[in-house]
Amino acid sequence: MPSLGSLPIYGQKRPSGTLPEKQHWQTLDELGGTAPVQRGEFPDGAAETPAGFTRRGFLQVLGASAALASLSACRPPREHVVSYVRRPEGVTPSLPLFFATAGNHRGYGVGLVVESREGRPTKLEGNRDHPASLGGISPVLQASILDLYEPNRVKGIRHGRSDLSFAAFLQELSKLLEKHGQDGGARLRFLVEPTTSPTLLDLRSRILQRFPQARFDAWSPLSEESAHEGARIAFGQALETSYRLEGADVILALDADFLGGEGEHLRNARAFARRRAGEAMNRLYVAEPAFTITGGMADHRFRMKASEVLGFGRAVAAALAGQGMGELGAFGGPSGSAALRRQAEVVAKDLARARGRSLVVAGARQPAAVHALAHALNASLGNAGRTVLYFPGSGTDRDAGPGRLQRLAKELEGGAVDTLVVTAWNPVYTAPADLRFGELLAKVPNAISLALREDETSKRCGWVVGASHPLESWGDLRGRDGTAAIVQPLIAPLHATVSEVDLLAAFLGEGDRGAYGIVREGWRARQGEAPPPPPTGVVAAAGETAERVPPTAFERGWETWLAAGVVANSAMQPVVTAIDAGRIAQAIAAVRAPASAASSGAGSADVLEVAFAPDEKVQDGRHLENPWLQEFPHPVTKLTWDNAAYVSPATAKRLGVADGDVLELGYRGKVLRAPALVMAGHADDAVTLPLGYGQEVVGAVGESGLGFDAYALRHSDAPWFDGGLTAKRTGDSHPLAITQGHFRMEGRDIALAYGADEFRHGKEALEHLRGPQPTLLPEVDYAAQPNKWGMQIDLTKCIGCGACTVACQAENNIPVVGKDQVLVGREMNWIRVDRYFEGPAEDPQSVTQPLACVHCEMAPCEYVCPVNATVHSDEGINTMVYNRCVGTRYCSNNCPYKVRRFNYLSYTADIPPLVQLAMNPDVTVRARGVMEKCTYCTQRIERARISTRVEGGKKIPGDAVVSACAQACPAEAIVFGNLNDPDSKVAKLANDERRYDLLHELGTRPRTGYLVRLRNPNPELA
Amino acid sequence: MTTATTLEPPDPLDPTPVLVGRPDDRALTDSLLEPVLGPTKRGWAILLLVLLCGMGFWLVALGTTLFVGVGAWGNNQPVAWAFDITNFVWWIGIGHAGTLISAILLLFQQKWRTSINRFAEAMTLFAVAMAGLYPVIHLGRPWLAWWLIPYPSTTQMWPNFKSALPWDVFAISTYATVSFLFWYLGLIPDLATLRDHAKSRTRRVVYGIMSFGWRGSARHWKHWRIGYLLLAGLSTPLVLSVHTIVSFDFAISQLPGWHTTIFPPYFVAGAIFSGFAMVVTLMIPARSFFGFKHVVTEKHLDNMAKVMLATGLMVSYGYAMEHFMAWYSGNPYEQFAFLNRWTGPYQGIWFMQLFCNVVTPQVFWFPKLRRNVYVLWIASILINVGMWAERFIIVAVSLHRDFIPSSWGMYAPTWVDWGLLFGSMATFGVLFLLFLRFLPAIPISEVKELRRELDHHGHGVHSAISTEEG
Repeated sequence: MPSLGSLPIYGQKRPSGTLPEKQHWQTLDELGGTAPVQRGEFPDGAAETPAGFTRRGFLQVLGASAALASLSACRPPREHVVSYVRRPEGVTPSLPLFFATAGNHRGYGVGLVVESREGRPTKLEGNRDHPASLGGISPVLQASILDLYEPNRVKGIRHGRSDLSFAAFLQELSKLLEKHGQDGGARLRFLVEPTTSPTLLDLRSRILQRFPQARFDAWSPLSEESAHEGARIAFGQALETSYRLEGADVILALDADFLGGEGEHLRNARAFARRRAGEAMNRLYVAEPAFTITGGMADHRFRMKASEVLGFGRAVAAALAGQGMGELGAFGGPSGSAALRRQAEVVAKDLARARGRSLVVAGARQPAAVHALAHALNASLGNAGRTVLYFPGSGTDRDAGPGRLQRLAKELEGGAVDTLVVTAWNPVYTAPADLRFGELLAKVPNAISLALREDETSKRCGWVVGASHPLESWGDLRGRDGTAAIVQPLIAPLHATVSEVDLLAAFLGEGDRGAYGIVREGWRARQGEAPPPPPTGVVAAAGETAERVPPTAFERGWETWLAAGVVANSAMQPVVTAIDAGRIAQAIAAVRAPASAASSGAGSADVLEVAFAPDEKVQDGRHLENPWLQEFPHPVTKLTWDNAAYVSPATAKRLGVADGDVLELGYRGKVLRAPALVMAGHADDAVTLPLGYGQEVVGAVGESGLGFDAYALRHSDAPWFDGGLTAKRTGDSHPLAITQGHFRMEGRDIALAYGADEFRHGKEALEHLRGPQPTLLPEVDYAAQPNKWGMQIDLTKCIGCGACTVACQAENNIPVVGKDQVLVGREMNWIRVDRYFEGPAEDPQSVTQPLACVHCEMAPCEYVCPVNATVHSDEGINTMVYNRCVGTRYCSNNCPYKVRRFNYLSYTADIPPLVQLAMNPDVTVRARGVMEKCTYCTQRIERARISTRVEGGKKIPGDAVVSACAQACPAEAIVFGNLNDPDSKVAKLANDERRYDLLHELGTRPRTGYLVRLRNPNPELA
Repeated sequence: MTTATTLEPPDPLDPTPVLVGRPDDRALTDSLLEPVLGPTKRGWAILLLVLLCGMGFWLVALGTTLFVGVGAWGNNQPVAWAFDITNFVWWIGIGHAGTLISAILLLFQQKWRTSINRFAEAMTLFAVAMAGLYPVIHLGRPWLAWWLIPYPSTTQMWPNFKSALPWDVFAISTYATVSFLFWYLGLIPDLATLRDHAKSRTRRVVYGIMSFGWRGSARHWKHWRIGYLLLAGLSTPLVLSVHTIVSFDFAISQLPGWHTTIFPPYFVAGAIFSGFAMVVTLMIPARSFFGFKHVVTEKHLDNMAKVMLATGLMVSYGYAMEHFMAWYSGNPYEQFAFLNRWTGPYQGIWFMQLFCNVVTPQVFWFPKLRRNVYVLWIASILINVGMWAERFIIVAVSLHRDFIPSSWGMYAPTWVDWGLLFGSMATFGVLFLLFLRFLPAIPISEVKELRRELDHHGHGVHSAISTEEG
């Protein structure tokens, strides 16, 4: 646990040469830059015994020491997290410690548990106790730990060309603020990320008290402005929407990727998956343009252009109006084709059958009217308060879309801003193209950028302040339901960086207070507790009073919040509000249909609809330098290291392009070249452009120029979709590194999916895919062993998000190989998520199948290894002995599942020392020429074995070991454990009627079994 | 040089003799030692220079492989074996002709083996040397290749005898050793001849040491003969075993396209097929360049073409049977693997293989074409290409699409792959040119013996000619 009791120790050398020295200063003069640096620990004369020790002299020395001691607090956050002068209590070298914190998902908190190894965070897990995580974690959050160790972060504070210490920065800033104070901050602006952090919001309001004329504008390219606006239309206030899929029998998603990345997707995935595998299976309808994770789970997926989604929703409303919900009649409207109308009618009937147990979800990329319509539908269906809850939330930053940015841009243009503080991520890059934000920013006399790494924005700012990573800083975040979690640092800042809390505090003259104090005292105040008495004397300043005064109720609570990762009782009560049907109808009527007009009216073949989408890997672009995410295959297209213009097979054919052929996209006079990627199930006559790629200011990862910048086409009046895009083949081609080249199952029994009824009547078909196979070899009695490890993967639950892939990478030190190597087929991921499409390419259904080493009991890899480098353990694990491997690769050739990965080159030799800190010390880092593969997280098994043995046992409890993939899975699709424990979850699933073995006929007897995917199709749409 | 070639009237029963004319011992010795003792020929030197350049390319590719790792190649997942093992099997196959000609034909007392056996054995040795390199350099960590050898160690770790790869080590090392001994034993009398005819002292000393003091006494000949026959007997099973074991590398796996019981005989037939093709490819230019036409006659070429025809038909039968079994087994993966050869992305190589290995040898049905050196030479090269294509199809194309469609992939060679293929051919060529220049390529003593045998055997028929000497 972090402790304030230890003061920073001057002169202490950093443990390794990899970290840059922090700037230290010794005297006030030196701090101000007016005196030469003094050598030695103490000021001249301080170390010598005074000749005649007078009372006056003693007091002088005492005063000087006190000044030195207190001034140390003027530094950037110097709270030492773990001091290694003596072994901290609770730290056993080689054993990991776990701390709860919160991750930031588009401004909202997601509870995390961080694994810390000897003081360095190595892996993130979801926090079971946090409602937005429930133990699951997304690939992006999982990989965000690597941003901490990124080699090319901004490592200090820069003003123009000179580097500043934090103290010098504070001095210069105070001069600046003095000027702004004269006019109440009229020429002071802040451009921030939308946030739910109570501390940041407090700081903002205090800054506004000091500078009443200043303003905070929130901007995020992925803002949920339309969702909030939709709530404002429907309820008169911008409420937060939170779904309770536990109770939803029928779900209609209107272009909403509520399982993949929008909203509380981890929580949604958990609840959704639980309702898939049980008796009362839910049914999901999805209307969307591009294939998403949610679309992949749909029982019926209606592909349509983004602009047609509102029409579909209105058709559903109209059909529901005919089912006794007359109040919805006002929202009905001209619906599109007859097929669409029929689909809408069937959906409406299904929704109506499940009143109070159904749910309509609108996506963040749809305009406010769709959200308002969804609220109206949910209200009429009686879902409000049951399957959908509305929370007041923190009530700010609801309009973080282009509108606010536009207003700011106008002020910048008029020269009305002297100081602009940018803490939002890279607005120069993410701002809509029509704002020309980059040019305007360059005009601001004092632009201050808080940036994790150098980017387009920091390049245009006179001041660049290195931002601390969330794992280095104190903070807090709320979830959608208001649940607050404290963000606590796991490591002292690796570089001389500051957090956003520190930076904002500097505007209040509290830059030296430290984020810890600010966050903690803020929560003390929020709990209604009076601030502690001001410290008295030098000793108290060192923070030792806490040991003498008994902790207050808040202080006791604070410790438990930190331990649990959730602030107790911080969740808000859901709000029940009536909808305003008139306003909704107005909003719907006000929606122009520029897109549909352009595409249907024009008739010319090459005018398409453009839709923008956050990229599954880099999101809005902030993770571009994250190698794990770059190499993480896109959940649907399996594309790595790039983005691509997604088009439907029919549109691709019409444009004459195949995967990788470069298109020239024209839109409002702008031209963008982008490689096409044919996406099965994409809407025709539309192009989806993932955001976040094509950045200009990049580090080592993005050096080679990754992807194209879709922001270049994005305009503030059409942030998500619009018509009028022209596309033309150029004849060039761009290699796309796609990890899965074949999406058809070729009629083989691989990832099995059936309709629930179909399965009920034909389950015996599975019998030939499981059970014992004859063998000539002697049988091994694994039941006699104390432990028999196995895994079951429920394809019904698997949403195909890929969290397992990144979790495995983090846990097992799996190297990143780069685009060139992925292009030749040498990606190293131990667990991959295969996606197969069934049905016509235009409108297929999909199945996802995570596939790692299945640990065959009769393993084909083992008998062909000439040097016994891959052998079987007596608990049935197919083990790899890295240092015995000579690299014949025969094992891989003989592996029917092709899950072995070979170190063709030395992928781990050039990992920068800083990034090496992220390595899991329990797992060998593999060298060139060695085969590797899934080990069932053998290191976790061994840890459990040790603790079981310490307690005198041999049989490890069935659910005591959780593999990294199973732990990360938000949908609980992967279950690992001891098959010899009949009470374990995995043993029960192994006997499930849906279980089958992959390639059973080969007699390999895999330990990883699969449970067939069941779908719940509506017979009326068959 | 003898001028008997033009003088000799054709024998109506055997128009293509194994020895043209009946040159006396002196003439034979002179003509057969001419390439070694005569002046350096310009053509030889130019060719050597060209091939040395190729060898340089090979050394660069080899160095790159060792320093960078096998990642310098195009191998990947799922195609973890590609050019490396293709080249290995191809070279090993080529190496088969030598032993077959030397040992099996010796035991069967085929006279026509006599003048080509040394040539074929040398080719075998060099081919095996080339082949033996690939299993080592294709390892991820080649410096640990010795772990495949069973040796007692304190760790008590032994190779996995269930795997075919340690058996490969035994098979190839045995084959290389026995082939070398056999070749060298055959060389000893000729080395002594060389020693006796050499003009320079250095040569006399070197050849003298190499000939182990051979004096041609009856006792020497007796022991030599016994040893030669013993080694022939020892090599005979090797002809069958080596490629059988190499085929186990594939046959013991469960990969569709590899998992086939037909592989051992099919591989052996393919090996002899390609081995003879290589002998023909090398022999046709060599015999004309060095003037061996009277000892390596159309008869030899004709016989080798017949062997190629026979083994080519066996190989074609193998192809047909693989497809039949794939269909008959009802195994969808197996069926797909073979369908993929016809329709998959590598179909071009498959059709090339069919043309080279199935269609080309059909020309050997016609005696006229068999004895046309141009036809024969082009056909033999095509067969070499076809046999390489066959191994590529088996190794890489079977791997690139196996059970789980999501893991399917493609393979494309890099310059290092090409360097190791063409560079190894050049290196092979360099070794061969050096052999032709410094050792008697035609076994002189055996040809002399053959001449006497022919004299004796063909006394009636050849009486008119056989008295040429006396």
